[in-house]
Amino acid sequence: MFQNYILQPIVNAIESFSQRNAFFIDEKHYTYSELGESISKIRKELKSINTPSKNIGLITNDDIETYASILALWMEGFAYVPIHPGHPRNRGEEIIKQADVSWIVDSSDKSFFDSINTIKTKDLEFSSLNLELSEIDDRELAYILFTSGSTGAPKGVTITRKNVGAFLKSFWDIGFEIDENDRCLQCFDLTFDVSVQSFLVPLTKGACMYTIPHDRIKYSYASELLEEQALTFGAMAPSMVRFLKPYFDEIDLPELRYNILTAEASPLSLIDEWSKCIPNAKIFDLYGPTEATIYCTHNLYTREGENKELNGMFCIGKPMDGVYAIICDEEGKILPKNKKGELCVAGDQVTLGYWRNPEKNESSFFTTEYNNEQMRFYKTGDACYIDDQGDLMLSGRLDYQVKIQGYRIELGEIECHVRDVLEGSNAVAVVYQNSFGTDEIAMFIENEEPNNEAVVKEYLKTKLPIYMIPSKFVFVSKFPINTNGKTDRLELKKQLSDGLY
Amino acid sequence: MERAEMYKELTVLFRKVFNNDTLEVTDELTANDVENWDSLSHMLLINEVEEKYSVKFRLKELNKMRNVGDMVDILLTKV
Repeated sequence: MFQNYILQPIVNAIESFSQRNAFFIDEKHYTYSELGESISKIRKELKSINTPSKNIGLITNDDIETYASILALWMEGFAYVPIHPGHPRNRGEEIIKQADVSWIVDSSDKSFFDSINTIKTKDLEFSSLNLELSEIDDRELAYILFTSGSTGAPKGVTITRKNVGAFLKSFWDIGFEIDENDRCLQCFDLTFDVSVQSFLVPLTKGACMYTIPHDRIKYSYASELLEEQALTFGAMAPSMVRFLKPYFDEIDLPELRYNILTAEASPLSLIDEWSKCIPNAKIFDLYGPTEATIYCTHNLYTREGENKELNGMFCIGKPMDGVYAIICDEEGKILPKNKKGELCVAGDQVTLGYWRNPEKNESSFFTTEYNNEQMRFYKTGDACYIDDQGDLMLSGRLDYQVKIQGYRIELGEIECHVRDVLEGSNAVAVVYQNSFGTDEIAMFIENEEPNNEAVVKEYLKTKLPIYMIPSKFVFVSKFPINTNGKTDRLELKKQLSDGLY
Repeated sequence: MERAEMYKELTVLFRKVFNNDTLEVTDELTANDVENWDSLSHMLLINEVEEKYSVKFRLKELNKMRNVGDMVDILLTKV
């Protein structure tokens, strides 16, 4: 499956479109021929290493070597474990340790981790083309993505080659028609799985993909690419669209044919306005947790007509082909239509589990009979119901996972680190909307020592990516308690929105 | 308005937005040099600057701002 849907189409593109552009990175084009050469030199080096683990670390720079490394690793049967060079070292080291990484592929001028075996891809010389594909079991891993974990350490979601193959097959079944003439946006960090869709769509069709350099402001640079390069396809987080909202009257993108909104809920009123900027685009909301490989439901926005919504958020639609979606109560019983419960998904896209995390695997997956078959379901943690037409209506989280600018964050992970540095002080993180309607994180801490803000902030910066650092710290002497005797998060949130802090 | 005077005022704004009392604002400063300069803080920064000088940037102008110097050049044509 991985060979048929992923690797073979990419090899075909390299061979058929060798002189066409595969990438536009930092204002420079690179051809499919250059991609083929880059893959070949990295493969040659990979063949020479001796590694007990098939998980290889990848420093996710924005360059052709980094993308070529992913494909080279896949062709050699390895899985990549992305490590963002802009995230704290500590986090990278934690991921390396957890995932048994003993080799790293790095295109940086200076190695990111000195103490680990590194293939420096920029130093390699091309000798001969090697795009040969050998039989590799679909049960092998394609990547491990580490996402925020509520117990303080990131957790690794393992995705197999079969998962990725099944994803792309179902993705094409939605009806996207892409060919070598398309120009596709790739605006997601490689540590986040929508990036996989964003590079696979162009590279399996011989199209050109356009990336965002790490030193540019994403929403501004993406809008420039969309307009000046007349992009035809692009997945974006709704928060990026929201950043562009003050400029909608200046934006006119008639060339854009497909626009995917993903990574967080899409406000319908925002889509209504945005749709006028992209008059010829089919707009889709695609929903999915990393555990079910990128997307698992799809909904096409209807122009000049009714669109379903819940609490102002556009409906996430129906499961993709091969994905089974059910709503369960707390005991795991399947609920009938229109009853709200937890959205659970099954099918070939669902992960085999978290990397070496039996407890989390025990609590996040279960097997039950559905369609006269025993199926293994993943509990998404999303509250949802299925309406009479079979559409999934999402209504929020059942836990403390939040989305900030499309990034998935467990508030518990931030709280854990605050407790660590303040030796057990109670800490509660909440999400609030700033005056522009954008979500930010506020951290409440039960501790009145005035110098603590700087201490906490500095500590968090060594542990967490910048998007997880709270923008507001509030120190109080005592947390409000609710009727269950627990910290009253809603009251803290209310105090914040009342402008008390 | 003089460039130097504008830098003094911008320094106050930048330090507030990025929550950094020692930030030195120069022509060459870019998002790469400030650790929490991302889309969200960029939006907040642009808003502060727009309010301070009662101006409105166009998206095209925003895209031209590779560093603070570019921002000041554009700003000086507007105030």
